[in-house]
Amino acid sequence: MEIVRHDKGACAVLYITGRLDLAGGTMLKEQVKKLLASNTVSIHLNLNSVDFINSSGLGALVSTMKEIRLARGRLTMSNLASYVQEIFDITQLSHIFEIFKTEEEALSSYRATATV
Amino acid sequence: MANVIERIGELLARLQSPDFYEREEAVKELGTYQEDEAVAGLVIAIEDPDLGIRELAANLLCTMKSGTAAQLLCSFLAHLDISTRNLAAEILVRMGADAVPALTETLKSDDYDVRKFAVDVLGLIRDERAIEPLCQRLWDDNANVVCSAAEALGEIGSPAAVPHLLAVYEKIEDVRMPAIEALGKIGDHAALEHLYRCLGTDDPMILYAVIDAIGQIGNLDSMPYLQKFMNQPELPIAETAMCAAIKISVRNHGRIGCDLPLDRFTDFLFDGVKKGNVEITEFTLSRLSHWYGSHVIENLLTVLDCVDDTKLGKISEALVLVGRSYSELMIEHLLRAGRESKLRLLEVIKHFIDETIARQLLPLANDPEPDVRRQVAYLLGVSGCRDAVPVLRALTKDGTGHVRAAAYAALGWLATDEDLGFIMDGLSDKYGDVREAAAGAMIIVGGPKVVARLTSELYQDDVERQRLAVIALGWIGEREVIEPLLQAVNHQDPGVRKSAITALSKFDSIGSVEPLLVALTDENSGVRKAAVTTLVALKKDAAANDIRFLLSDPDIWVRYHTIMAIAECGNRSAASFLIPLLQDEQDIVKIAAAKALASLGASDALPALSKLSQERNKDVVEAGDMAVTALGGQK
Repeated sequence: MEIVRHDKGACAVLYITGRLDLAGGTMLKEQVKKLLASNTVSIHLNLNSVDFINSSGLGALVSTMKEIRLARGRLTMSNLASYVQEIFDITQLSHIFEIFKTEEEALSSYRATATV
Repeated sequence: MANVIERIGELLARLQSPDFYEREEAVKELGTYQEDEAVAGLVIAIEDPDLGIRELAANLLCTMKSGTAAQLLCSFLAHLDISTRNLAAEILVRMGADAVPALTETLKSDDYDVRKFAVDVLGLIRDERAIEPLCQRLWDDNANVVCSAAEALGEIGSPAAVPHLLAVYEKIEDVRMPAIEALGKIGDHAALEHLYRCLGTDDPMILYAVIDAIGQIGNLDSMPYLQKFMNQPELPIAETAMCAAIKISVRNHGRIGCDLPLDRFTDFLFDGVKKGNVEITEFTLSRLSHWYGSHVIENLLTVLDCVDDTKLGKISEALVLVGRSYSELMIEHLLRAGRESKLRLLEVIKHFIDETIARQLLPLANDPEPDVRRQVAYLLGVSGCRDAVPVLRALTKDGTGHVRAAAYAALGWLATDEDLGFIMDGLSDKYGDVREAAAGAMIIVGGPKVVARLTSELYQDDVERQRLAVIALGWIGEREVIEPLLQAVNHQDPGVRKSAITALSKFDSIGSVEPLLVALTDENSGVRKAAVTTLVALKKDAAANDIRFLLSDPDIWVRYHTIMAIAECGNRSAASFLIPLLQDEQDIVKIAAAKALASLGASDALPALSKLSQERNKDVVEAGDMAVTALGGQK
């Protein structure tokens, strides 16, 4: 799995490519840990190029969300393949993750919050 | 022409008829003539004893927009009958710009009541040609006319009237109030210096009007003048100043340019939000990122039910922003709130829930509303609070299915191996969504113990549990599930076999594909199709040889599916397998074969494809044409 980071405003967008499994999940958790350590607490995951996800990957996403919330941050996701959406629905993670159809919609929601 | 005048004369005479229908017909016909005599007849008809005829005449006069009609109607402003006078005024307003010259002339009437009515009508028409004559009426002998003129100038809203209004304000005491109000409505900044001076007045009513006018003009520089009044002990004047500041802020896209003593007005502002005051709501919500404290948060919590979704979004964002600092306040409110407020607040708390907050939420697991219990279950699950596990276990026995589903999902997010027994129970729930949630929880927990449990499920009696177990194993997706899935390919239940084969497609490699090759000959067509898909996913173009025999499968959809799979392989050499399918007994198979051959670039299929042009089904012909074109052949 590969993670590419682009900062857009105060939000760090992580583009994840490949398999989100045990190894990929560990990599994601480490990347998020670094971001939180540098006070970047608004994190968006673009999952467009995730072609595999399993229980370890899901576990990593849940644990990442908890870490970000503890740091008073916000985690959003977008561009879910139907395959990923299906497992989010089965596990009901769709109820607790902030999921947007596109990255732009997610980033707009950060801008809206900033102007409250 | 003579005939027309004669005819109008006859119609005028009919207006006096005792017969309603005769008068009505006469009015209708008069409305078709442009002559002044006809117009005069319609004006006369507005005095008709019947309301229907009066309204008919009025409508016709409005559409004629005649200067003569306006002149005649103006004379009715002196009518002794109030309803006739009001009808004439109403018609003049509806005539609009066409009535302005006649009304302006009427301003010279000796009758001050007529002058006042004309002024009022001009104010309602809002035509700028009336400004100058109305300014002259500011110096009328009659105070009512003067006040009406000031109000009319305010309605027209032209800055040209400002110097006249300022002048009359200084000279005539009676007109001060309407003049100030008019200056506010006009909204011209040139009036501000004068209005600031007026803030020193001893007359409280004038002071209210001046503050309001300053607010309406909407200049940010006025804020310091208003600030002084916001700190005054008299609350009504302070609130008027606050309202003026709000108007200025709204006109300046939420800016206020200085610090305002908002805390003094917390109750006033939120009362405005509750009452649906648009300006106060917009202003109050725009301050939330700069203004919080327990009193503000308390008030915010009370308006959760009073706002639409857009505003709710802003309130939620503000509450999320202060989240943890005021969580106790929120929980306290939550425990005594109504259903909607509870759900909205739980949605807010979701963003900052932690173990401490989760413990405070535990009593809500017994809430009488199932939607609340369900939402609480999700929050407990995401909180990471192990103390919530017994509560979630209890919720898996809830009487409402979707609460049980949420509880199982939440247990999955929180659970350890010791909760597996509880979660497994959910696989036998009477509702499908609960069973699926329990399977989802198993997926999240994952690990060797879950795999072992699910594998053993494959060989229990309950087919539904077997199906869910194989789906869950597929999603767990670790290599240790491959062996149980391969075994499940030989399961007695076709649904389980199919799910197992589909699940195997998610792996890069699974070692031996022998069970899949056997599955290609399965008695169940769904299983055969799944085997085709999985073999292609695992072996890519090398799968074409394995699956080609299914091109003659008795099941049309297996043949169709195999054609598509071979096309997806991209194996050019497999094209020759597809050519005979162009002669298949089923049109849908012919179409699929044509498309597949085109995508594989099989130009050697051109002769066979060309023959499709003789088919009876036009979709087959079209598919053949497109394939021939794509391959560079000639139709």
